[in-house]
Amino acid sequence: MKFNTPAELESHTKKLVDSLDPNKPVIILCGGTGCVASKCHDLIDAFKEELASQGLEDKVSIRITGCHGFCEKGPLVVIHPEKVFYPMAKPKDVPRMVTETVLGKKVIDELLYIDPGTGEKVIHEYDVPFYKKQDRVIFADNGEIDPRSIDDYITLEGYSSLVKAFDMSSEEIIEEVTKSGLKGRGGAGFPTGVKWGFARKAEGEQKYLICNADEGDPGAYMDRSVLEGNPHSVIEGMIIGAYAIGASQGIAYVRSEYPLAVDNLDIAIKQARESGFLGENILGSGFDFDLKIYKGAGAFVCGEETALIASIEGRPGEPQQRPPFPAESGLWGCPTNINNVETWSNIPHIIKKGADWYADIGTNDSKGSKIFSLVGKITNVGLVEVPIGTTLRTVIYDIGGGIPDGKKFKAVQTGGPSGGCIPEEHLDTPIDYKDLTALGSIMGSGGLIVMDEDTCMVDVAKYFIGFTLDESCGKCTSCREGNARMLEILEDITCGKGTIESLDLLEELSQYVKDSSLCGLGKTAPNPVLTTLMYFRHEYEAHIRDHACPAKVCKDLIWFEIDAEKCTGCTACARKCPVDAITGEKKEAHVVNQDVCTRCGTCYQVCKFDSVQVKTGGDN
Amino acid sequence: MSEKVGAVMVVGAGISGIQSALDLADSGFKVYLVDSKPSIGGLMSQLDKTFPTNDCSMCIEAPKMVDAGRHQNIELLTYSELVSVEGEDGNFHAKILKKPRSVDIDKCTGCGLCTENCPIMLKIQIPEKPPAPEVRDRELIDGFISEHADLPNPLIQILLDVSGKYSYLPRDVLEYLAFRLEIPFSNIYRIATFYKSFSLEKRGDYHVKVCLGTACHVRGGSRVLDKVRTVADIYGGDTFSIETVNCLGACALGPIIVVNEEVHGHVTIDGVDKVMNELGASKAEGGEEE
Repeated sequence: MKFNTPAELESHTKKLVDSLDPNKPVIILCGGTGCVASKCHDLIDAFKEELASQGLEDKVSIRITGCHGFCEKGPLVVIHPEKVFYPMAKPKDVPRMVTETVLGKKVIDELLYIDPGTGEKVIHEYDVPFYKKQDRVIFADNGEIDPRSIDDYITLEGYSSLVKAFDMSSEEIIEEVTKSGLKGRGGAGFPTGVKWGFARKAEGEQKYLICNADEGDPGAYMDRSVLEGNPHSVIEGMIIGAYAIGASQGIAYVRSEYPLAVDNLDIAIKQARESGFLGENILGSGFDFDLKIYKGAGAFVCGEETALIASIEGRPGEPQQRPPFPAESGLWGCPTNINNVETWSNIPHIIKKGADWYADIGTNDSKGSKIFSLVGKITNVGLVEVPIGTTLRTVIYDIGGGIPDGKKFKAVQTGGPSGGCIPEEHLDTPIDYKDLTALGSIMGSGGLIVMDEDTCMVDVAKYFIGFTLDESCGKCTSCREGNARMLEILEDITCGKGTIESLDLLEELSQYVKDSSLCGLGKTAPNPVLTTLMYFRHEYEAHIRDHACPAKVCKDLIWFEIDAEKCTGCTACARKCPVDAITGEKKEAHVVNQDVCTRCGTCYQVCKFDSVQVKTGGDN
Repeated sequence: MSEKVGAVMVVGAGISGIQSALDLADSGFKVYLVDSKPSIGGLMSQLDKTFPTNDCSMCIEAPKMVDAGRHQNIELLTYSELVSVEGEDGNFHAKILKKPRSVDIDKCTGCGLCTENCPIMLKIQIPEKPPAPEVRDRELIDGFISEHADLPNPLIQILLDVSGKYSYLPRDVLEYLAFRLEIPFSNIYRIATFYKSFSLEKRGDYHVKVCLGTACHVRGGSRVLDKVRTVADIYGGDTFSIETVNCLGACALGPIIVVNEEVHGHVTIDGVDKVMNELGASKAEGGEEE
C-alpha cells in the first residue's frame, strides 16, 4: 500500500505491531551467503515439507533472514519465541526440531551449540558468547527480519526516522549527523556530517547521492550482509541524506559478485517505491527522490570515489585528481555525495535516537559501533559489531574464541590490502581510526584477518602486493611499476634468492610508491610490506640468511619427509601423490623422492598418523 | 674543466629531446636537434595538462622551445629524417634527409596567409553508415540495450547482461554493440579488458572459481589453486576453465571453490581431486549428470 502522509504510516505500523502474536512459533532460518554456501536451502525445503506434512503451515511460520553473523556454524536455525539456537543444522533433524521443539517446547540436547571455551551447552541464541559480548546497533535486526518483506522492517519502527527527519530542516539534520561524530565507514574515516555540508552548500540544480557497495577488500563482507539482510535501513538512510543535501537521484553501486545483495536491494527499492518512500512527494513532504542500482563489473579500484564515478559514467575505473572533490563536481559534473553502505545504515539510528545517544558509544575520537568481519585462523568466524575502541584482544579472544587447534597467535591484519599486520604485543590497542594508524595500519572497511603460527608473514606481504598489482588500474607509473618491482623482490625472498640489502630497497621503494601515487590504492599499497618489515623483520631475515621459512609455507624453502618410525605403510600418501614421488612397500615406511616432489602438500593432508613432516632450512 | 670537442646529435625534438639538447648545449657541445615534424615540440605541445600536477603543458614547454631555437650551440634540423648512422664512439657519421618545405624558413613569419589562399581545399567526407553486422540472438541483445536506455552511457551494464547470458563476451556481440551504440570498437575492448567480470574467452563446461581472498589465502587457497590447475590440465581446456577471484564474501568457509555456481567450502587438496575428477569423468563418459 502507498503511504501518503506520516499518519498513514503510523497507523499501519500500529496495526502490524498489534497483529503480532508473541506466542506464535516462528522458525528463523539464516539465508545469508555463508549459510547458502552451507546448503541452507536444503534445510529450508525440509522445514517447508515437514510443516506441510504435519498440516502446520498456518500455526507455524518460517522466516528466512539475512546473515546473523555466526557464519562458521551455518546453517543456523533459531526457533522463536523461545529463541532456541541450533547451529550447523541438518535436514535429517528437521522433523525432530518441529515435533519436539516447535510443538513440544522441548530442547533437543545433542543439537545445541557447545561453547568451545567452557564445553557447556548453550540453549538460547543470545547466550552464545559470540553474540553475548557484542553490542549490535546496525546489525541488531538482521536476525529478526525477512529482508524481502518491507512490513517486517516497518514493524520494527522502520521508516519512522524518515518521518522524524521530515520534521527537521536540512541544516538541523546535517548538524545532528555532525554532532553524532559519525565517520565514513568505508575506510578513510572522513566525518559524514561535514561531507554532507559540502554537498549541501555546493551549487547545482541536480545533485546525486551514491551508496558505495563495491566492497572489494578481501576478507571483509559486512556491507554485503547489511545489504542482504536489512536493505531498507540503507534505503532509509539514503532518503534522509538526500533530503538533507537536496539530491533528487540516488545510485547504489553494488558489486556484481554479490548477486543476492543486488536481488534483495532491488526488491526493497521496488517495495519502497510502492509504499511511497521513493518517488515524488514522499509521505506528503513535497520532497522527491528516487534510487536505482548500478552493478559494478569487478574492479577493486572502483571503491575509490572518483573511480566509482568514472565507472558509473561508463568509463574504465581510473581515479582522478582531487580537487575538484565529488561534492563540487562529481557524477556527470554535478555535486555528488558518496557514502558507504554501513555509513548509510547508521543514519536512521542517529536520527531516531539522537546524536547524543550515538556520541556516547565509542571513544573520544571516534563514535559509534563498527561491524568487523573476523576471519582467518579463528575459532568463531563471522561478523562482529562492537563499539569503536574495543581492544583487538577482546574481539579476537572473548568474541572470536581465540585460535583453533591450540596454535599460537601471530598477527591480525586490519584494513585489507591498504592495512597492516599487527603483532601480539599490540593486541591491547583499541580499534580506533587514530590508534590503528599509529601502528602503521588502518581501520579500513573492517576486515580482521587473524593469522596463526602457520602463516608466513613474507608470504602475506607478497600476497597483498600481488593483489594490489593485479588491481592497480595502471594510471600512475609508481603504483603500476613500483608494486611490480616490490613483488619481484618479495618473490626472490620467498624462493631463497633474496639479499639483506633488498630489505632496504623494499623500504625505499615503498616510500616512493606512497608518495607519488594519485589515489588511496597506491598511497597505501606498501602498508602490508612496511608493517611486516617493522614487526616481523626476523622472518624476512630467516628467509634470506638461513633459506628457511619459519611458518613452513614458502614452497621453495620447504620439503616433505616421512618419519620412518611413525609411518605405518598405509600407502594413502603414495596413492594420492599426483607425481608418484612417494615409494614404499605396503606396511613398510615410505620415502619421498625429493627430485620428483612438487611440494603440493597432498601427502601432508592425507596422512592420518602425522608421519609426513614439513622441513625447512636449518632442519635436518 | 676539460675542453669540449665534437658535436652531438639528438634525434627527436619532444620535451626530452629539447631538454637534452639544452643541457648539452649549455655544457658546451654543438648539438644537432633532428625531428621529422616541421616543428620541434613533440607530443607535449599537443597536451592540455600534465600528470599528476595538472600544470599547463605549453607553459612548461614553450620557453624551452624558444631557448632551443635561439641557442647558439643548437642547430635545428626539422622536417628531416635520420637515414643512417655509421662509425663508433666519438666519431659518428650521420646522414640526414631534409625534406623539401618549399618555403624559405628564414623569411617566413608564420602569418598563415598562404594556407588561406591555397586553391586546393580538403573536403570532409562522411562515410555512409554500413549495414548492421551479423550477430547471434539479435532480439535479446536489442532487449539488453533498450533495458538500459535511461543511462547516458550504459555500456558496462549491457556487457554485464551479455556476460550473464553467455558467460563470456562473444566477439560478434561486441561488434554489434559498437554499431548500435555508435562507439568505437576499441572503446568496448578497453572496458571489456579493464573490468574483471568480463572474459573474452569461452569458458569450459565446468567453470571453477578459486577464491584467493585473504581469509582463503591464509587457509591455503593458493595450494588449492595449484591443485585445481593440475587437475584441469589433465582434462584439457574445454572441460574446465579456471578463474581466480578476490573474495566471494563467504570467508567463514575458506578455502572455497565454486564450480558452476555451486559452492564447495573448506576444500582440501584431496577434496579438489575428488570433486573435479568426478565431473571430468562424467563428461568423458558423455553422461549428463553434473
